[in-house]
Amino acid sequence: MISFIVNGTSVDVDAEPDTPLLWVIREHLKLTGTKFGCGMALCGACMVHIDGETAYSCVTPASAVQGKKITTIEGLSPESAHPLQKAWVELEVPQCGYCQSGQIMRAAVLLDKNKTPSREEIVSHMSTNLCRCGTYPTIVKAIQRASGQS
Amino acid sequence: MTTRRQFLQQSAGFTFAIGAGGFISACGAGGPDSASVTSGGSGAEPLQANIWVTIHPDDSIVVKYAGTEMGQGSMTHVPMMLAEHLDADWDKVTVEIVTTHDTAYGNPVFLNMLYTAGSTHVMIYGEKMKVAGTQARKLLKSAVAKQWDVALSELDTELGVVVHASSGRRISYGGIVADIDIPPDIPEIDDSDFKPEENFRYIGKQVMRRDVPSKVDGSAEYSIDVQVPGMLYAAILRAPVEGERPLEVDDVSAREVKGVTEIVVLPYGIGVVGNTVEATQKGKSRLKVTWSEDSAFRHVSTDTSIAEYVGAAKDLSIKGVAWASKGDATGAIDDAAVVVTAMYTTDPAYHAQMEPLNATASVSDDGKSAEIWVGTQTQSLTIIGAAELLETDEANITLHPMTMGGGFGRRSLLRQQYIDDALLLSKAVKRPIKVIWSREDDLEAGHFRTAAAQYMRGGFDNDGKLIAVHHRVAAPAILETMNRHRWAVVKPKDVITMLGSENTTYDIAHHLAEHIRQPRASRVIAFRGVGTGYTKFAMECFIDELAHSKNVDPMEFRLQLCHDNARMTRVIETVADMADWDRKREPGIGLGIALSGYHKSLSAGIVELSVDSVTGRIQIYKFWAVGDPGRVVSPRNAKAQVDGNIIFGLSSTLSERISVKNGIVEQTNFHNYRIMRANEVPDIESIVLSTDNPSSGVGELGTAMVAPAIANAIASLTGRRIRHQPLTPDIVAAALKG
Repeated sequence: MISFIVNGTSVDVDAEPDTPLLWVIREHLKLTGTKFGCGMALCGACMVHIDGETAYSCVTPASAVQGKKITTIEGLSPESAHPLQKAWVELEVPQCGYCQSGQIMRAAVLLDKNKTPSREEIVSHMSTNLCRCGTYPTIVKAIQRASGQS
Repeated sequence: MTTRRQFLQQSAGFTFAIGAGGFISACGAGGPDSASVTSGGSGAEPLQANIWVTIHPDDSIVVKYAGTEMGQGSMTHVPMMLAEHLDADWDKVTVEIVTTHDTAYGNPVFLNMLYTAGSTHVMIYGEKMKVAGTQARKLLKSAVAKQWDVALSELDTELGVVVHASSGRRISYGGIVADIDIPPDIPEIDDSDFKPEENFRYIGKQVMRRDVPSKVDGSAEYSIDVQVPGMLYAAILRAPVEGERPLEVDDVSAREVKGVTEIVVLPYGIGVVGNTVEATQKGKSRLKVTWSEDSAFRHVSTDTSIAEYVGAAKDLSIKGVAWASKGDATGAIDDAAVVVTAMYTTDPAYHAQMEPLNATASVSDDGKSAEIWVGTQTQSLTIIGAAELLETDEANITLHPMTMGGGFGRRSLLRQQYIDDALLLSKAVKRPIKVIWSREDDLEAGHFRTAAAQYMRGGFDNDGKLIAVHHRVAAPAILETMNRHRWAVVKPKDVITMLGSENTTYDIAHHLAEHIRQPRASRVIAFRGVGTGYTKFAMECFIDELAHSKNVDPMEFRLQLCHDNARMTRVIETVADMADWDRKREPGIGLGIALSGYHKSLSAGIVELSVDSVTGRIQIYKFWAVGDPGRVVSPRNAKAQVDGNIIFGLSSTLSERISVKNGIVEQTNFHNYRIMRANEVPDIESIVLSTDNPSSGVGELGTAMVAPAIANAIASLTGRRIRHQPLTPDIVAAALKG
């Protein structure tokens, strides 16, 4: 049994200790906003926050989060009111949308640490997250908007 | 006069002939039942005005959408076009996806299948929406005219309300449905009934895509997210080489994994079924399988296949199937004063859609009916394919088409393997099964953009005028492997292989594009841009080579060839202006131009780059692009599509290559199949022109011009032609050496 906190709620999950956190979140806890993309920490679709830092849930074993605080896209903000989510909607960022949970979670920790990142800082930070539809330019604009820079 | 009942029953594949008298002809078979038609009488019943739109007494409206959504936006924009012409309040409209193989909703480009591909949805359904919306609006007005005993011409509409200006009377569409007798006859319409463009509220304006909010909070449901009561998971160990089957299976260790419930041998692999995703993945990793090793693909590698394609393309004694022909290109080249030739080659490429393929299926105990949840580009082919597999009637297949985490052509087959996987396993274990492919599975069993070799020949006359181009495409017939039913109808002309090789751009007196059919080197399928992805590479590189052979600036050369093509000229001049083409760049920085276009949509791009001839690394500083897709339905979305296309094209040109060696795909995940990252995107400046032409699609507009623009820029910088795509560093370095 692995116990941790997800989006502010304590959970106990009956899963093998080496189960990737991704599947615990998606299929055991039914929080499907976090996505499976590659299983090798190459694409970022699976990103969640563990104790305030982004983590690739596809390569994080469940045992590693015993007692920790996890935030998924569903828990980023009540009513999807995070400035990033608002900017994402205003600028119509998502196309197919599959990578966007990971993109937003990744962007969120940037703004936690750096209130007004430069364009170079943004693209460098966001280089962990793939988008096949090519929404990168609007992602950058949305982060700039969310940080009050445009 | 056609009644609404008759209209609804006959509505498959109809075209509208509208003119004097407003005659509507309906032809073709099939049609939905007309159970919800209100004729005569009034009350709380909704009005199904035609197969596309139903109006409810509470003013809410339901519009059907015949496609599926993969981020291209047509699930919002096409129903929105009906709302526009109905003059309804878009905020009161709900969109319902058609989930059955009902040819009344089919796309005539695809033999009346429900099929979302080829950037056709706005182009084809936009017209249907215009007519359906206009008819419904006239129907409502006619009902009010009769009831209020006023001339139809005295009535107008205002956003969901019928208005009689002279008396000030108003009634909402819902109110009409609730209180007024609706005549059963469909009104005839003509040009004067269409809402004038200057009154458009939605088309051409900023209207948010409906799917966006759910894609920023994790609530959008993709097929990989589906949860069905009693569901089990499955992982598939597929034969690494296409066409092989398992001979011996040692599953002892796999069965010991906690959570594995069944191991099922399939004709092409093994299904590991279990209570959790992780159990099925672990069980799969513990299987020991001996494969039949008898597939002919064991002897197929992309390098050798491409070499064979080159031989076939060059051998003029091998006649291909003409795809497009004007004049007598081969004769004109025989007589030409100067002939220029070039050979271009292309490697396969992978769609790399971010959602690994997956499907959920629940097959009935008798194996004769099924419920399927899957992200698909085609409701029709999915239902037909499933019925074929289960040897049952299409009516027994219940489909839930889910939004897709990327399509790009990958989800368009008649028989989609991941759906077959789920159906076969559900049938075997008699439980709903969710099959999730790993990224490795997705590559290993991938259907790719085909490899190709293209031999170009160009002939100049004595005055130095380009008079003939001969374009030989040596590549497989992709459509044949995608959908054998459609192939049977259209063969031997393969639009997926050949698109883009027709010359609708340049004034060249003689032109022949022919398909020299080759055996495939891998599984193949439509890939964003289909044939344009490589046919435009060959043609646009070749145009540059022809220009250089005559010492003419490639931009000027194109403008001369487009002298009678005002629409294309405007696109070229616009992008030339944006890039300041005539401004000389510093040493080491070069410009290249290419046109692509897709069906009737036009585009042109210019790239500014430098290249390191030792490492072969290309540094892209800027890419300018202009698209002209006719009348733009959503300006913001059109620009997002063009920009996305350019990034897709840059990525596939600079770092992506699929190689098959002895039947096995060598790439396995994103570390050895590299797609462009956020910090690698160059500055992109793009404009989408809305022009007075029918809307012709933006989903694939721009991908194809990237590779030739890059090759052209490198040639202008270094004098060296790179006649291969992708232009990965190793290819570039080899070409620039010495």
